[in-house]
Amino acid sequence: MTTTPAEPFSAQPEPGANSAADLRVGPDQLLALIDNTSAVIYMRNLDGRYMLINREYERLFNVRREDVVGLTDHDLFPAAMADEFRANDLAATRGGVPVQMEEVAPGDDGLHTYVTVKFPLMDGDGRVYAVCGISTDITDRKRAEEEVARLNAGLERRVLERTAELETSTKELDAFAYSVSHDLRAPLRALLGFSQMLLDDHGDRLNDVGVSYLHRLQQNAARMSRLIDDLLRLSRTTRAEISHQPIDLGQLAEAIFEELRALDPDRIVKVTIDDHMAVFGDSRLIRLALQNLIANAWKFTSKRPDPQIAVGSGLHEGVPAFFVRDNGAGFDARYAKRLFVPFQRLHDATDFEGSGIGLAIVQRVIQRHGGTLWAESTLGEGATFSFSLTTTADDYQLEDRHAK
Amino acid sequence: MQSSPILLVDDNPDDIVFTLRAFAGNEFGNEIIVAHSGIEALELLLPENGGAPLQPAITLLDLDMPKVSGLEVLQRLRSNPLTRLLTIIMLTTSNEERDITESYRLGANSFIRKSLTLPEFVEAARVLGTYWLTMNEHPTTPRP
Repeated sequence: MTTTPAEPFSAQPEPGANSAADLRVGPDQLLALIDNTSAVIYMRNLDGRYMLINREYERLFNVRREDVVGLTDHDLFPAAMADEFRANDLAATRGGVPVQMEEVAPGDDGLHTYVTVKFPLMDGDGRVYAVCGISTDITDRKRAEEEVARLNAGLERRVLERTAELETSTKELDAFAYSVSHDLRAPLRALLGFSQMLLDDHGDRLNDVGVSYLHRLQQNAARMSRLIDDLLRLSRTTRAEISHQPIDLGQLAEAIFEELRALDPDRIVKVTIDDHMAVFGDSRLIRLALQNLIANAWKFTSKRPDPQIAVGSGLHEGVPAFFVRDNGAGFDARYAKRLFVPFQRLHDATDFEGSGIGLAIVQRVIQRHGGTLWAESTLGEGATFSFSLTTTADDYQLEDRHAK
Repeated sequence: MQSSPILLVDDNPDDIVFTLRAFAGNEFGNEIIVAHSGIEALELLLPENGGAPLQPAITLLDLDMPKVSGLEVLQRLRSNPLTRLLTIIMLTTSNEERDITESYRLGANSFIRKSLTLPEFVEAARVLGTYWLTMNEHPTTPRP
């Protein structure tokens, strides 16, 4: 800081004396102080006439100190603005205490916003004779805040819009599935019922060819009914609410094999199941997925003399993954992607029965758990279906421990 | 009870044919009275003209009917003391969870999905009739 020569009302510091006078700050220093701040500082008397402005004021409003002294805000600013400044001045002088407010004043690039502190100046008798204002430009902050608010509002609006869209499409899907289950099944029932009545009541008047036509009609109607049921199941997999529980995949697999053995007691399949396959997911949906994968393996090994199915786990690219592997018919790896498309089949219906919806359901279930499903195979040498899930039981236990 | 009729409420003429045939094949001996809409069913069970109300052994109620739905019929019957204790079996195409839940919430005695094939229909009628018409004990005074 530069020290200016002594003014009449400033005490001259004693040279060399390390007294209190050395530390006394004179008016020039104070002026230097207010001239070197980035805040706008000004002083007005009770009539609103300028007594002092600082250099930042001069720079900002492109005026000179000596020209402004004696003027009022009404000489410098639009009337409405000047009225507001005046009202704020009066608030400080009347209240006798500092007041803070936001004020707006013109700048080079449009209106600027200031946060202003105004405080009364008092004489020795405690009478207010002037008001001093210190204004800090907060335009940048204000504009940033407005921008953030604008972006937030936009974001909120888009979230609301997308949520509404999603709700609409879920509702439409819901309505569609419902009408499918009702409206498509009724005519099917009529096809099956009346063809059966034709066979029962008038079958003796048809020859074998006629009877076989009716049987084909019935088989197709029954197949269509299974397709509708599968479609509904797929749609429900997509709609179902997911809840998360710890699941032992090994136990689950064992139960599924038990069911398959009960349905098909003559088949002998060598089954191996790994220990310690703990996952965390929706037990109903995970069961549905595993049931489909194991039933597939069961089905596609049916023509092997030595059928083998393994359910296990391992690391895939550093992430825990689970697999169902069989030594069955397999598929041509070139068509692997089509496996997961609803109603796409890689085998003739005469070789292996199926609607082509099972793997689509498995994929939905895995996707809904944040995981991925993939398949590897060589035609005639078996297939491996693998999947990952985002959460394993270890994560769950970890979370649980943290919670405690 | 055995001689009381069965009331079948269904708007689908094909399904009426199958249900009648399925029950005919089982020889329970109960007459089957058909109401082709929810309104007709309510007129039979809660006649407004002061006529004698129908007193069926069981009522087979379809869910999805135009104007007055099966659920609405169920609700009306359950909220009236005269029909509160009737044995009402939902016999419908739906197996939607919400239809099943709503039916039981409104006081259905049973919920059965219509069979797809005629042999299944006949079997369902046999099991249903055996249970509800012969095994099950109904309240002795369904109209207190």
